[in-house]
Amino acid sequence: MVNGDLKTDVVVIGSGISGLTAAALLARKGREVMLIERTARPGGALKRFKRQGISFDVGFHYSGCLGDGEILAVLWDYLGVRDRLEIRQFPPEGYDELNISGCAQPVRAYFNYVQLAEELQRIFPVERAAIGAYLDKVRDICQEIPFYNLDLPLSPFLRGIKERPPSLAEYLRSITANPQLQAALAAPAFLYGVLPEAAALPVHASVAHGFYQGAYTIDGGGQAVVDAYLQVLARAGARVLTGNRVTKVLAAQGRVAGVVTEREEVIACREVIYTGHPAAVPAMVPASLFRPIYLKRLQELQNTCSMYAVFAVPEGDKVPSPDWVNYYQLPAGLDLVARHREGSLARRSLMMTSPERRDTGSLREPNRGIILLSPAFWSEGERFWDSTPRNRPPAYKAWKEEVAGEMLAAARRQWGARYGALRPLAVGTPLTFRDELAAPEGAAYGAQHSLLQHNPTARTRLPGFWLSGQSTLMTGVVGAALAGLVSAGEILELENTWEEVRQCR
Amino acid sequence: MMTDDELRRKVVETLAEEFELDPEAMQPEATLFDDLGLDSLDAVDMVVALEKTFGMKLTDKESLQAVRTMNDLFELLIRLKGVQGGQQT
Repeated sequence: MVNGDLKTDVVVIGSGISGLTAAALLARKGREVMLIERTARPGGALKRFKRQGISFDVGFHYSGCLGDGEILAVLWDYLGVRDRLEIRQFPPEGYDELNISGCAQPVRAYFNYVQLAEELQRIFPVERAAIGAYLDKVRDICQEIPFYNLDLPLSPFLRGIKERPPSLAEYLRSITANPQLQAALAAPAFLYGVLPEAAALPVHASVAHGFYQGAYTIDGGGQAVVDAYLQVLARAGARVLTGNRVTKVLAAQGRVAGVVTEREEVIACREVIYTGHPAAVPAMVPASLFRPIYLKRLQELQNTCSMYAVFAVPEGDKVPSPDWVNYYQLPAGLDLVARHREGSLARRSLMMTSPERRDTGSLREPNRGIILLSPAFWSEGERFWDSTPRNRPPAYKAWKEEVAGEMLAAARRQWGARYGALRPLAVGTPLTFRDELAAPEGAAYGAQHSLLQHNPTARTRLPGFWLSGQSTLMTGVVGAALAGLVSAGEILELENTWEEVRQCR
Repeated sequence: MMTDDELRRKVVETLAEEFELDPEAMQPEATLFDDLGLDSLDAVDMVVALEKTFGMKLTDKESLQAVRTMNDLFELLIRLKGVQGGQQT
C-alpha cells in the first residue's frame, strides 16, 4: 500500500444500491470499508427529493424478487436490511395496465404467471400457443440463472464465454405476428432500456421473470432502502464520505495500493470497488496495467436510453388512495423504446406510477407523488449539453415545460378519468440524469446489456480493482444490488459468500 | 477470400496490436495462457477483436474453449472461414 492520509481495507466508489450492498457485505465480514460518494447525500438513484413538501422517488418505483426466498429478500435478510423495511406485495388485483395502441382494451399484466396467462389469453384468444411458449421460455431461462434458482453455484454463470442468444425481437417474431401481443410481452424492456432488436432474450427474461413472480413496494420508497443500508453500515463501523470524489486509483507491485480524491487526499487500501459508469475507468486507472482493447471497450460501451421524468401531484384535494396499478402507454410492435424518436412525445412509451403505497388515511399524504417517465434520447437535449444545473439557459426551462406539457396531456388522455389533471412540481431531462446521477448521456440504466456489446465483469486485470454497478452484471435495483453482491463476493471468495447468503432462505 | 497464410498473419497482427503482444512470440505452438500471458479476462476482448477483424461470429462455446495454442486458434478461424465465408474487413 501507499502512505496515505487515510487507510482502510476497501474503498467503495459510489453509494447507489451497488455500492451500499458491496459495502454492507464487506463490513459484515469484518472488512474496514470506506464508501465515497460524489454528491452531498448517499443513495444514488434510490434517493428521494422533495418539492413543496412532497417526496418523490427517482429510480425506485416497484421491484420484483422481494418475496420470501427470493434473491433480494434473501440478500437483504443476510445484510440485516430487510428487518428495517416495510415491504408490501402488490395484491392479486394489482397489475401493470398496458395501454397498447391499436388494442381495444388495456392489458392487465398481473404479477403472477397464472393470472397473467389468463389475461393474455382473454385478450389474444387465438394466440394461446404463443403466450404459453413465451411464459414457459422465460421460466426455463431463469431456472438456469442462480439468482432465480438459488441451488445453482454462481461461478459458472459469471465466468467464461456464453453462446450468443437470440434477440428478444427475433424470438417474439418467431412466436407471434400480432403487434399488440408483441408489445405486451416486450413491455418489461421499459425496465432495462434496450430496444427489442438488440436485447438478448435471457436479459429480457431475467427482468420479466422477477415481475411475473410478484411485485413489491417499500414504505418510504428508495429513501427507506438507503436509510436502512446506512444504519447497517454505521453499526458495522463502515465510513461514508460524501461530497468527495475519487480521481485516481493507485497501484504498486502490480496491485491496488490506494486512491486519490479530488481534494488530493490519498487513501491507502488494497481493494477498490468502482460502481460508476465504466467509461470513466480508463481516466482513473494506470492505463499500462490494462489491455488497450479492454479500455477501448469500456469507453465505447453504448448506453441505455435516458428518460424524461415529470414529478406531479393531483390538482386540488383529490388524493387517490393507494393505487396498486402502474400505468403504461405503449406503441404496438417492437419499437417500444424508440418509436416516434422524432417529433411529439405524445405517442412515445409512457409510464405513470405512484410508488408510495402506504395508506396513512391522511388526505394530505405528503409522499403520494405521481411520477411520469418516458424514454428520452441524449441527442434531444444537445443544445444544453454544455450547461450545468447552475447555469442552464432560459430556453432549458421552456423545453422542460414543453416536455412536461406533452407527457401530462398524454397521461390525461389515458388515465385522466382516475387521476384528473396533474400539477407538475419538477421535471427531469437527460441532463438531469447526467448531472445528478453521473450518468453519461443521461443513461437511465447505465450501459446497455445488449447483443451489440460485452459488458465488463467484476474482475479486471488489476488485482484489487473490481467493477460493479448496473453496467456490469445487470440493470435495475435488483440487478445493481446483485452486482454489489458479486463484487464484494469476488473479494471475499465468491462461492463461500454465495453459500452464506443463500442460507438465509 | 483470404488465404490461410494471410489469415494467420492477420491474427498475429490483430493480437499484437490490441493486446500489446510480441509478434515474434506468437508462434503456432505458443500457448495463449502460459506463453503469451493471456488469461480468462482477455477471452471476451479476443473474441471481439477477431470477430471484428474477420467479420465472423465466434459463438461456439465448445470450440472456443478447446483453443490452447496459436495453432488451435488459426485452425478454428480457418474452419470458420470455410463455413461463414469470412468477409475481409
